[in-house]
Amino acid sequence: MDFKGFLNDREFVLLDGAMGTLIQKSGVEYKSVPETLNILNPELITSFHKAYIDAGADIVYSNTFGANAYKLKESGCSVDEIISAAITNAKNAVLGTSSLVALDIGPIGQLLEPAGSLSFDEAYEYFKEQILAGKEADVIVFETMTDLYELKAAVLAAKENSDKPIIATMTFERNGRTFTGVSPASAAVTLTGFGVDAVGVNCSLGPNELEPVVSEISKYTDLPIVIKANAGLPDPNSNEYDIMPDDFAKCVVSLLKYGVKIIGGCCGTTPEYISKIKATLKKEKYRPQKKCVDTTVCSASTVVEINGPRIIGERINPTGKKLFKQALVDNNIDYILTQALSQVSGGAEILDVNVGHPEIDEKKMMVRVLKSIQSVCDAPLQIDSTKPDVLDAGLRYYNGKPIINSVNGEEKSLNGVLPLVKKYGASVVGLTLDENGIPKTAEGRFEIAKRIVERAESIGIDRKDVYIDCLTLTVSAEQDACRETLKALHRVKTELGCKTCLGVSNISFGLPNRELVNRTFLTMALEEGLDLPIINPNVESMTGAVRAYRVLAGIDKNSKDFINEYNDSPIVVSTPKTTEIDIFTAVYSGLKNEGASITQKLLESTDAMQIVNEMLIPALDRVGEDFEKNKIFLPQLIQSANTAQECFEVIKKHISVTSGSPVSKGKIILATVKGDIHDIGKNIVKVLLDNYGYTVVDLGRDVDPQLIVDTAVEQNIKMIGLSALMTTTLKSMEETIKLVRQRKELQNPDGTSKCVVFVGGAVLTKDYAMKIGADYYCKDAKESVDTAKLVLG
Amino acid sequence: MITLDKLNRKEAVRYLGGSGIKLNYRMDSLMDECENEILKKASPKFLYIEKDLPFSEIMQGDDIKRHLEGCEKAVLMCATLGAEIDKLIRISQISDMARAVVLDSFASVAIEQVCCKVDELLAEKYDEYYMTFRFSPGYGDYPIELQKDFLKLLDAPRKIGLTTNDNYLLMPAKSVTAVLGLSKTQIERRKRGCAVCNMRDKCQFRKNGEHCGF
Repeated sequence: MDFKGFLNDREFVLLDGAMGTLIQKSGVEYKSVPETLNILNPELITSFHKAYIDAGADIVYSNTFGANAYKLKESGCSVDEIISAAITNAKNAVLGTSSLVALDIGPIGQLLEPAGSLSFDEAYEYFKEQILAGKEADVIVFETMTDLYELKAAVLAAKENSDKPIIATMTFERNGRTFTGVSPASAAVTLTGFGVDAVGVNCSLGPNELEPVVSEISKYTDLPIVIKANAGLPDPNSNEYDIMPDDFAKCVVSLLKYGVKIIGGCCGTTPEYISKIKATLKKEKYRPQKKCVDTTVCSASTVVEINGPRIIGERINPTGKKLFKQALVDNNIDYILTQALSQVSGGAEILDVNVGHPEIDEKKMMVRVLKSIQSVCDAPLQIDSTKPDVLDAGLRYYNGKPIINSVNGEEKSLNGVLPLVKKYGASVVGLTLDENGIPKTAEGRFEIAKRIVERAESIGIDRKDVYIDCLTLTVSAEQDACRETLKALHRVKTELGCKTCLGVSNISFGLPNRELVNRTFLTMALEEGLDLPIINPNVESMTGAVRAYRVLAGIDKNSKDFINEYNDSPIVVSTPKTTEIDIFTAVYSGLKNEGASITQKLLESTDAMQIVNEMLIPALDRVGEDFEKNKIFLPQLIQSANTAQECFEVIKKHISVTSGSPVSKGKIILATVKGDIHDIGKNIVKVLLDNYGYTVVDLGRDVDPQLIVDTAVEQNIKMIGLSALMTTTLKSMEETIKLVRQRKELQNPDGTSKCVVFVGGAVLTKDYAMKIGADYYCKDAKESVDTAKLVLG
Repeated sequence: MITLDKLNRKEAVRYLGGSGIKLNYRMDSLMDECENEILKKASPKFLYIEKDLPFSEIMQGDDIKRHLEGCEKAVLMCATLGAEIDKLIRISQISDMARAVVLDSFASVAIEQVCCKVDELLAEKYDEYYMTFRFSPGYGDYPIELQKDFLKLLDAPRKIGLTTNDNYLLMPAKSVTAVLGLSKTQIERRKRGCAVCNMRDKCQFRKNGEHCGF
């Protein structure tokens, strides 16, 4: 019988206990990693497996927890050698029994992006190698995972290179999160979406302490739940664990009510524990979860349940936004991140992400933007593109369960998009239009909605994951269309039982006082059953309308959220006394808001460039001097720079209105070199250069030398700043400089370099900088500005 | 379990190049906010193991030999503030760079305080021994590459989520690995001085005639 047979036929499926504990107790010596014992002492490993099978284990885990290329580097053995030996050992042990062998895979041992520097693709390759080496196993197990992103790479590698069933378990701390901040709910939602066969927890805590985590997981999945707990906590001196087999089995039984079906032991457990569990379970029945939360999306840390109106922020979208388009062309990711953060603080619970623009590679940009947003923002995202290949890439690199925006009733769209939604376990927005355009009537749109839902269900996508958008048309052009949209929305909600979504702002196009029209339409739509309004969350009246609706519709119980949001808001708005200070004082003291309003006023009477050259720059220079003389300290320098930036923004806007051409003193590339992830220094330099009027192309941290050189060529950039914090990453700095010097396009006809390279970072010295071929060494941000002035003017 | 209830403000200001500067009201309240935020988000964790000397796996270079001279045992330790702190600093770098540098310096202060608490704990546990100060991979000629071996010996990736990348940077960033020597006979109190410091050529403290305190 195979694993799925076990799940169907048996009340419970028993796993083994710890391998490491038995190895440790046996006192056997091994070289480098315990997995080498598969080759050095196969009889011993087989005997451990046998002991667990005798105790009642239906599945034994191969001794391959750390058998990945990274951890085996110094062992002298290949992944293939170790894993095939391990599977053979386990297979020998199950011979003549009904037990199965699971290929056991633990974490790689390196932190993935964005917190670390191992890329998603590299992680995928590590796992792929293990999965191919273990193809003789009956089941694939991923365990002790603490990063959902790493686990996603693992599950994808399994799905794309094997058809074996998958068990996935993560390790949670006492605070209910993993080391990287993954919540049990997010893990359950995401893994269920991926179509693994069982989810659960292992390691870290004893079964007595796992209840909160297990109960949380069971709320968010209908899959059988796995627990493989530690035998309590180890004594720091003796390394003995404190929960005995009897108590362990009792604790396990107390968790059965959460749908636990697959049970074993982790660190500290032995065959005795397994036989005790087996004996205790004889009297028990599997109790599958009765009901789990059904409509959700999530990031790695946050699940958003669609159980009432939830706001989707619409602002990460270049349509009709000049600054946004420019940011895309300039690779200015920080601009987009600022938009993300401000929408969340405005009240958005999900963010739509659209980066479609003819001048850029949308697919690359989508991946980069999604990864960047997820590194700073916990809100789940909606991946928005008209191109299936962009959606595919976005889905692959997204951490959690996203929404896809969108599919429509066209055959091409249904065939192109729905299989992706299924593969990655996402939700999808279904637009009620097809080859013939948008139907005029509610009936027509309803029919398309029905078709989309049927097609989704036919390939295994639950209708709870399809959010129908009945499309907002402009009321000034077609006045009756509003009614039709709302009618269709109501029918979709009540007759199809789907969640609904709607872009709201379109309604008011061409009318005065658009905000009033938008808000009224939003309220009408909410009452018809709108779940996911796509709006600008920073328009207070729109977000406020959703919040108020939640109170009036009885969703926000006891008005708790509403009161939380508005109780503390100041009633008296204080007016800043802008008249009393001048622009110099504002910049010097770092008063952002005042700086902007004073600049605005000054522009009425003073030439823009005069403000820049005679007021802002001298103020900044003074701040720089005082910083050098230790009169002010670093945060003050930065606050002044930020204030100056606010002033510059006002001036830029003014100039682009009056003359149309923005002011820039030249472009500079900044990057923290390959392998280095400490980028705070580089970011300080960026703030300062920005504020002196230079356009910074920030390539981020851990940047490939090739990308730096290619960007310099593509954008014809004459100045490159590199930062490295560690002695170990100075090598990458040297390599990058070498590559800059070698590139033909960056050389003058006489062979000299067109590009000026300046470097900085904690471990650098001037001598060393010169030795590796840099043009300038800058000891701090202030010196970087001085250098930029010298080079670019 | 180590908890922090207060961070050394003077140190944080010093890291920001502000020793001797009188902070104005706005800077003071920024410091307050950042200190509280670091205290709230930090989740200090540490591990240590004891090894009898000689222990060849960690002996590379001359400085470590000098450091452990006359010691019978060594304690390998590691500590981290956890991944939330990295994330906090990452986010603030987008929304408010001034705040980010203050948070960063408080986080550096915090990990040092955690290490000091570990020192105290060890001093108590090994009260019949004299103890050297913490010596870390990367000091003097002690190879930074040992970072990986330290973490493996301590089982740090699994137990406290502390890892390194291919360039031996610790992740989460606000983390420390170190070795301390234990000796039954009194050892010369060596100070972590500028002599073994890799930063001695360009250290701002040194240039200003100060000392970093280590």
